[in-house]
Amino acid sequence: MEDETVVNDCTNQPSSTKSDSLLQWSKWQLIDSILPTGGFAHSFGLEAAMQSRIVSHPEDLQTYVIHVLENTGSLLLPFVYTATTSPDLQTWQQLDMILDATLTNEISRKASISQGSALMRVSSSVFVEIPSLKTMRSVSLSNGDVRFHHAPIFGLVCGLLGFDSETSQRAYMFITMRDIISAATRLNLVGPLGAAVLQHQVTFVAEELLKKWKNRGVDEACQTSPLLDTVQGCHSYLFSRLFCS
Amino acid sequence: MEKSGKIVVEKVGEKSRVTRCFSKYPLKFIIPTKAGPSDIDAVWIYTLTYGGGIVSVYKSVAFNCSQQIMEANIGSDALLVIIPDPVTCFSTARYSQKQVFRILSDSSLLVVDWITSGRHESGEKWDFSLYKSTNHIYLDNKPLFLDTVLLENGNVTSIAERMQDYQVIAMVILLGPKLQDIQNQVQEDVKKMMSEQLHAPSAGGRSKACNGDGSAKPSLIASCNSFGPKGIGVVVRIAATTTEAVYRFLHCQLAGMEPMLGLCPYQ
Repeated sequence: MEDETVVNDCTNQPSSTKSDSLLQWSKWQLIDSILPTGGFAHSFGLEAAMQSRIVSHPEDLQTYVIHVLENTGSLLLPFVYTATTSPDLQTWQQLDMILDATLTNEISRKASISQGSALMRVSSSVFVEIPSLKTMRSVSLSNGDVRFHHAPIFGLVCGLLGFDSETSQRAYMFITMRDIISAATRLNLVGPLGAAVLQHQVTFVAEELLKKWKNRGVDEACQTSPLLDTVQGCHSYLFSRLFCS
Repeated sequence: MEKSGKIVVEKVGEKSRVTRCFSKYPLKFIIPTKAGPSDIDAVWIYTLTYGGGIVSVYKSVAFNCSQQIMEANIGSDALLVIIPDPVTCFSTARYSQKQVFRILSDSSLLVVDWITSGRHESGEKWDFSLYKSTNHIYLDNKPLFLDTVLLENGNVTSIAERMQDYQVIAMVILLGPKLQDIQNQVQEDVKKMMSEQLHAPSAGGRSKACNGDGSAKPSLIASCNSFGPKGIGVVVRIAATTTEAVYRFLHCQLAGMEPMLGLCPYQ
């Protein structure tokens, strides 16, 4: 609601309003599917779930999306939250190390690293107004200890851009939902219009899940859907596959 | 913490022995002197708590145990094996456990951690209130494996929904040089078993082909993943529709432990 008044009040804008308006453009760009972070190479286990008949009807898809979102909330939002609230090199590297030990499923671990590396590369080139992104990236590349996991980098970028922590956690849930539903259309589980309808339906549940899991520290990070993790772990056994995870 | 205990296993001469053992009610350690053949160097420890269960420990190992928390330090060239029966939470129960393992680069560890949906034959399926199980492994004090599973009813989604028709969830951790052969074998077996079960839907998800009888979900799903530097550990996750199927899986995959333990786990 606040955002709308800011947009409408642009006739004689004070400098803070101007930066708020620009922040919105950055926000939309960060969650836009055109940002080349490689999210569309991943199905979040949906492909393995289909091949194991856990998801075999379009109706199963909504349930699956909700379970992935719940697991994302409980496991990854703590990393997004902590990185957004303390967007500094030391916190980020610590979170990266903890998440590497937390993602015990190799498939999700590799997916997180490839998306995180891409997001860091893209962000440090795109958001040039934050030179520390480039510095942090090159320091971490040269010392070689950092894996570049996705959730802490997403939180770090949000924090440095100036997003509040709730927005950044909601945005993380949004891009997760966006990417699974996109994968579902390419797996021919749902058509493009059906996908849009589903995305809007799931929004209400996603907001509930955000409320439940937001603002937690990483010592509370946990898996709430072990079945999903088991199925996701099977991805490398698929004889034919479209997605990396 | 009301319950507490501590047990230390050390190598004395050529044999592993319990050199310290203390516990307070209602925790109790039972250390049978003849659990396996006498030429096998292993110490078997049964821990009895209100929840039951079996813990086997062998070679130079020390751990503290309390009501919900177990900490174990596994020494150089030592092996710790934890092979309990599954946790079965009754309706409305709340159960939480935490296991912390501190290892060195040449320690070995086998942990089985599993839970059933409850007394499902009498209709209780994922009917408990809360189950939380944490397994943390630190290698030279750095986090190597941090896993917490939380199953809580009253969420946006129920546990039963998240488990679909599966009644058992199990995790097996295999780590270290003594378990290398078993790790390789499990990875190969699970890959072979699952490759036969998984196949692309014959004609697109949206078509009628997958409606009706179609093909059923696998009664047991397993996946193996390596973790840690140079893949020193392997974690196997299993979901199954019956407890017996998981017992069979564990018995078969852990049979290679017999020369080290003197007995085959889950026989």
